[in-house]
Amino acid sequence: MEITQAPILTLELPYREQLQLWRSRFRGGPGPRVALVSGIHGDELEGLYVCHRIAGWLEALAQTQPAALRGTVELYPALNPIGIDTLQRFVPVFDTDLNRNFPGHPEGLLPQRLAESVMGELAGMSLVIDIHASNVFLREIPQVRIAEEFKGTLVPLANAMNIDVIWLHGSITVLESTIAHSLNSRGVPCLVVEMGVGMRITPAFTDQLLTGILHVWRRLGVLGDDVVLPPLSHAPVIADDHNVHYLNAATSGLFVPEVEHWTSVTRGQRLGCIVSPYEGRRLSEVRSPVDGLLFTLREYPVVYEGSLMARIMGLGDAHVAAEGV
Amino acid sequence: MTAHRLLAMTAPLREDFVIGHHDIGDAVRPPRLALVGGIHGDELTGIFVLSRLAHFLTGVVAGRHPGHRLRERVVIVPAVNVLGVNVRSRRWPFDGTDINRMFPGYDAGETTQRIAHAVFALTRTAYYRVDVHSSNLDFEEVPQVRLYAPEPAERATAPLFGLPAIIELRMNAVYTTTIHHAWRQAPGENFVLQAGHAGVLDPATCDRLFRALVTFVQRAGILVGSRIATEDDEVHYFGPDQTVPLISAHAGFFVTRLEVGRWVQAGDVIGQVFDGFDGTLRHEVHTPVAGMLSGVRRQPLLFEGDLVARIQTRQPTPLHVQTHLTGQGQ
Repeated sequence: MEITQAPILTLELPYREQLQLWRSRFRGGPGPRVALVSGIHGDELEGLYVCHRIAGWLEALAQTQPAALRGTVELYPALNPIGIDTLQRFVPVFDTDLNRNFPGHPEGLLPQRLAESVMGELAGMSLVIDIHASNVFLREIPQVRIAEEFKGTLVPLANAMNIDVIWLHGSITVLESTIAHSLNSRGVPCLVVEMGVGMRITPAFTDQLLTGILHVWRRLGVLGDDVVLPPLSHAPVIADDHNVHYLNAATSGLFVPEVEHWTSVTRGQRLGCIVSPYEGRRLSEVRSPVDGLLFTLREYPVVYEGSLMARIMGLGDAHVAAEGV
Repeated sequence: MTAHRLLAMTAPLREDFVIGHHDIGDAVRPPRLALVGGIHGDELTGIFVLSRLAHFLTGVVAGRHPGHRLRERVVIVPAVNVLGVNVRSRRWPFDGTDINRMFPGYDAGETTQRIAHAVFALTRTAYYRVDVHSSNLDFEEVPQVRLYAPEPAERATAPLFGLPAIIELRMNAVYTTTIHHAWRQAPGENFVLQAGHAGVLDPATCDRLFRALVTFVQRAGILVGSRIATEDDEVHYFGPDQTVPLISAHAGFFVTRLEVGRWVQAGDVIGQVFDGFDGTLRHEVHTPVAGMLSGVRRQPLLFEGDLVARIQTRQPTPLHVQTHLTGQGQ
């Protein structure tokens, strides 16, 4: 197994520094190439830790069973390196969401050059997994989000990812400028993982996803059949635009949850309330509109009128993925 | 009284906030013209000019400008991103959302979706709809009309503003979430005006934009009376393949002495790039084409690959690159 770390793009900064986009590559046999990408948003750190854990797992494999890597694994942990280094979600200075700049352009502005460079490296991959960590406001259960138009290819892969939810969503034009849509449109399967919360790492979720990623890679032939993996422990339920219910704040204040994340809730159950620090009464009670599973829960307490506090998957419509794990 | 509350919302720890608008003229009729500014809180030129226009048109209705009469209803939202203006933030300050990526909005959705919905609902029934922008903090734009994949009627109407440049662009995926694109779903004509430079208020640019708006309301038959704007710039129409971005191959400190709106020849020096440590000249930026300098960089700190200027050519050119317009002030 050959392990290398090298920059794939170097750009000058205004004052005597450079921006470099780094990749770790684990090259085994001639089998399929796969990749993890993360850190498109500088405040989403869960994927960085997943990359670290995958790197550690592969480095251990190199010591104990190097021939078991039948293909190539590439890690791109920090697609927005300055954003991560400066604690900014968007690309600093350019104030743009890097995930709205794909497929990029070789002669474009810095975000477009970053995007184009990554797209070039990912061409021909058998699978790319793009790991997100929600934002600083909302905590997400490990899930894979798939655009309806690509579900035929992607749902069978997502089923083996050891995640809890597959969310099928309709096409939104603006999402055409994401890395996932750009890759899937070019025939490179790309799964979007959302898990945890911005600016934090959730080790339990990392363990869960790590197992799923390794299982999928083994299924694809990146890893040999003789590799022993922890058993899958999670089977996804499928959410879509018809069974996901959004709970938006009726007024502004502090949202205080009264339930745990990823729990069953019943219609009418109080999930939390919105309060004011100026007075003792509750400004608003937040109740579930359906029987279901609470798969998104607000982490950041301050809410404006309209702020999203929770998402619930209605159980009446949810179903276990057709293809089991 | 023309001032109205477009939207009132609670805030977590301060008083409720209000997005206000002006509704001028006969309120029984649908508005003929809707003008929106300050979707980005740092674009002050549009906010200021729309407030002055509201003052003027209100004065017409009140009889303070004899000889003028407002024939049609006009609605004006000087600033959509009120909190952003107050805390000098381009985006919605709480969650960093760009409100111009939220249209047409949703009245039961996130805060900025609700704001977008309210602005869209107010303006969508107007026949002429104008979204006024002032570039961003890095770049100055010549006062211009921007058309995105326009209809023939919009091409015909755009010269009524009398601004020196009309720039036609193709639609792209990101712009499908803007107010301009949302308006396109309703009958009428839609325009984006770009003028000046975010974060500053240049009196000459404000005067130019104000004259353009008054000229438009007169030529469109919304305001009748003696002409107030007496002079017109020569209007130039640039099609979708007549925009050439000038990109710097080097990082450093960018210096230019050029003003937007001037015409340049192929080979002219547009600016220079210096090393900010040892002071050496690293690069001179030359324009490969002749044309109008429609935009120029005002932020001196330059990344490799940054946009330093934009040239509008008289004829279509293969050097046109649409991508560099993305993210420029809209």
